Amino acid sequence: MDNLESLFPGLRGSGYLVTSREDVRYNCVAWAAEDAEHWWWPDEDSYWPEGVAREETIAALVAAFEKLGFVPCNGSLLEEAYEKVAIYAAPDGIPTHVARQLPSGLWSSKLGQLQDIEHRLEDLGGALYGHYANCLKRERPVGR
Amino acid sequence: MSQAKTEPSSAEPSHQAQSPLLKGPDLERRFRELVSEWRAEVAPLSSSTARVQHPAYRAIIALGPAVVPLLLRELEQRPNHWFAALRSLTGADPVPLADRGRIGAMTEAWVTWGKEHGYL
Repeated sequence: MDNLESLFPGLRGSGYLVTSREDVRYNCVAWAAEDAEHWWWPDEDSYWPEGVAREETIAALVAAFEKLGFVPCNGSLLEEAYEKVAIYAAPDGIPTHVARQLPSGLWSSKLGQLQDIEHRLEDLGGALYGHYANCLKRERPVGR
Repeated sequence: MSQAKTEPSSAEPSHQAQSPLLKGPDLERRFRELVSEWRAEVAPLSSSTARVQHPAYRAIIALGPAVVPLLLRELEQRPNHWFAALRSLTGADPVPLADRGRIGAMTEAWVTWGKEHGYL
């Protein structure tokens, strides 16, 4: 916990929850795509959806989630009928992180190879992940 | 073994200075230092690009082919993103395309390769 708060100072006093153990098998993009079996990234050694450019850009991440039925949306506020994912990017525009919104309106993130946590969107902003840059949504399946 | 890339320009000076001539216990000690540094600093990163561009990772590659057995043992014991380093140092790529992103399967492919080639 202390380690996470030193990495992400926004977590301090925020009431975030650690919801898994560390696991190198999957990362934030995989977790946002509900896949805990692969490490997703547009590089040579990672899983990446077929037909999507293997380039480290927000556009490539958006295209990867569009393959899963997501479409661009205007904001990160909770809409009950939709699931949302948020993309974070560094100041130079390189994507750094993806979080998945929970029905509560909080967000679930896998922190690299570290734990999954539940947090507020703004809590992970800072030196490591930059800031929230983009959002996509898809209709929430019945029962979720 | 023919494709060793060193790319020393991406490593910090402190990483470069000791790299080329290390052998035996000195090599292993330096390798362990760099692995510890790398693991600690890339743990929260999801970008595998950033992970393999980290100066400590580049410095491990700059240690040269002698580090391959250490890398394979590290991978076997604590699977992680050592695949780009192993490719760079050996010129081999035993991971089927269909297994990209499956850390366990990629590790298994490299460990099998290491055993077949006498590294493990």
